[in-house]
Amino acid sequence: MKVKYLIEKIEGEAELEFDFKNGLVDNVNIYFPFYRGIEEILKNRDAMDALVITPRVCGICNHAHLIASVRAIENGLNKAGINIDLTQKAISLREFTLSCEIVQSHFKWFYLVALPQLLNLDRMKCPDNYILKASWASTNIVKALAIFSGQWPHASYAVPGGVSCDPTYEDIIQAESLVDEVIRFVENELIGMNIDEYHKRKEISNIKGDMAIIFGMLDKHNMKAKGKSYDRFAVFGEHPIFQTGQYNKKYSNDIDFAHIDEHPQHNSKAKSVTYKDMCYEVGPLARAIMTKNDFMLNLHDKYKDSVLTRVYARLDETIKLLVHIKSLLANLNVKELSCTLANMPKALEADGVGMVEAARGSLIHQSIIKDGKIQKYNIITPTQWNLSSGTQKEAGIAAQAIKGSVSIEEATFIFRTFDVCSVCTTH
Amino acid sequence: MARSTKLKILWLQSITCNGNTHSFFSHPNFMTLMQKFEVIYHPILDSKYSLDNVINKKLTCDILVLEGAFRETGMQKADREIYEIAKSYAKKAKHVITVGNCSTFGGVFRLYDPESIGGFCFNDETPNEAYKLFKRKLISLPGCPAHPRWIGNLLSMILSQRQILLDNFHRPIEVYGYSAHAGCPRNEYFEWKVDSKNYGHKEGCLFYEYGCQAPYTHANCNKILWNEVSSKTRVGTPCFGCTEPYFPKKDLWHTNTLMGIPATMPMDVPRRAYLTITGIAKSFSIKRLNEPIIKYKK
Repeated sequence: MKVKYLIEKIEGEAELEFDFKNGLVDNVNIYFPFYRGIEEILKNRDAMDALVITPRVCGICNHAHLIASVRAIENGLNKAGINIDLTQKAISLREFTLSCEIVQSHFKWFYLVALPQLLNLDRMKCPDNYILKASWASTNIVKALAIFSGQWPHASYAVPGGVSCDPTYEDIIQAESLVDEVIRFVENELIGMNIDEYHKRKEISNIKGDMAIIFGMLDKHNMKAKGKSYDRFAVFGEHPIFQTGQYNKKYSNDIDFAHIDEHPQHNSKAKSVTYKDMCYEVGPLARAIMTKNDFMLNLHDKYKDSVLTRVYARLDETIKLLVHIKSLLANLNVKELSCTLANMPKALEADGVGMVEAARGSLIHQSIIKDGKIQKYNIITPTQWNLSSGTQKEAGIAAQAIKGSVSIEEATFIFRTFDVCSVCTTH
Repeated sequence: MARSTKLKILWLQSITCNGNTHSFFSHPNFMTLMQKFEVIYHPILDSKYSLDNVINKKLTCDILVLEGAFRETGMQKADREIYEIAKSYAKKAKHVITVGNCSTFGGVFRLYDPESIGGFCFNDETPNEAYKLFKRKLISLPGCPAHPRWIGNLLSMILSQRQILLDNFHRPIEVYGYSAHAGCPRNEYFEWKVDSKNYGHKEGCLFYEYGCQAPYTHANCNKILWNEVSSKTRVGTPCFGCTEPYFPKKDLWHTNTLMGIPATMPMDVPRRAYLTITGIAKSFSIKRLNEPIIKYKK
């Protein structure tokens, strides 16, 4: 029996076409209906225009697009023999702002998507309190981001050679106090304990606060072990707290852009992506697996790439990032240069790739520049990795994870554990 | 339960990145504000009706908020053209608010197919067919994205029945009557014509070389600040003119010049006046403006 379902509030919409057999989902096709043509829009524009246009791919992960875009230009400059050496200050500021955006996105996913969807299973309405929490926490963390980037969403403060801002210690103090506020929120509301205590946890059941609520609900609805896919993971973007590489039965730190292929899909405007002809999961779970911490390894041994590990990984990453960005600010030296490249070379010929870890996983921009103008631009988003229907050889990551679901409600929740973003998927 | 007497808001998206939705969600009093209204539909909040209900049932709303660019055909949701859905709600709504540059003028996404994609009531500067139908109730909040306060305060002003003065593009004058240049901390460098030498410095004006459009862009960004703390020019990024119908222009990081002088003049400033002032200002060299503001000790 085929059932069509319009899934909404996922940064746009998607259509899921389920094939039920004996009451279980046997197959699912995922259609993203609308293409906006960002890559086409960029053609023949000045190379730097990408820093302004590409953030407009996505209202929730725009900053990741900016960073991917500037890395693509810098990679092209380096390959063209123009050496780009960023100062530690510029590296740290980019890392700080990018991490703030990831945290913002994870808060929204948890309080606006994950909890309300599970409440829906019990026919309960999302309490205003969750929206308030999502708004308060995300507003404060993007405020810290904006101190350096000028605004959120849609900043363009990362420029080839560094960043355009020139912060004072007073700016840094203000950002630190905002991060402290958000950490206090995490301690009081999200985990119900202080961070030191959280670090000593032995079991998921030790965690309190709102995180305990979601684990309780997953338990109640018998979903902890559901949503398993191929247990294959990839991390492409460099970030000091994430290890790049891939996992497919065994770990490898080798990962090469050259093995990535995009494939058009029937009826969908989104292309699927493979690495060495296989689908890979990207995102917080992939990053957690590659980083190999003991807690995660134990959880993974027991539950593999299930709903529980995926949900846990996203929430745990929120806390890790907040701790990390505090140390970035503490060590920031304002005396260093913000930007080391005086001017973009005239009539630049360059071909570069920029890879970055965004909230939903590895984001890749490729720009080919001729005579200073963009000749070709290609964007591969995290959600293309996770949310395609698949290839001729195998179902996509989420499509595989949904197989065996007992209902549309369960299937769409599993789908949402990947943190769906429709606008990114098609771009 | 008594029927709600709150004004009903319906937030409908067309060709968009959701930037305005997320911008507005960063409003520091988001919940307090939204609780004053009945939200019929919203793209990220749990709302009373589903998108399918919005599209296939005839609901009513007092305030229609539109986000994203439009095309007459080829942008469907649940098998219906979203442009037609928007028009049918706009006919009955008391107020139509276009948030963001896309729904107002067409914005970034118009560039993909300018023949068929535009704003709801304007294609760039030109009023279109829908403008004739809805001009009496239209309020434009262009910006990429619109500032959370522009959206929040406009909704509150509608609620409290305040007078809302509008300009030619139906932008509220209390917001768009200012230039983005007003309140920029680099103003002294503009006055004395001291260029920014490179990215990454507090000092210098970005108008001469780096494409800053703030002096001729209608917006109060540097008055009310983004996320309550900052703005593009405060962090050394030029203003890209995102509240204007021609956004995004080409070569966003470069100033077009005529004989070494910016080709576009600050709002309403005659070229002759600008040249005179520039000549005088440039004949002086102000030492303080040619040095770093802060000299940290090694």
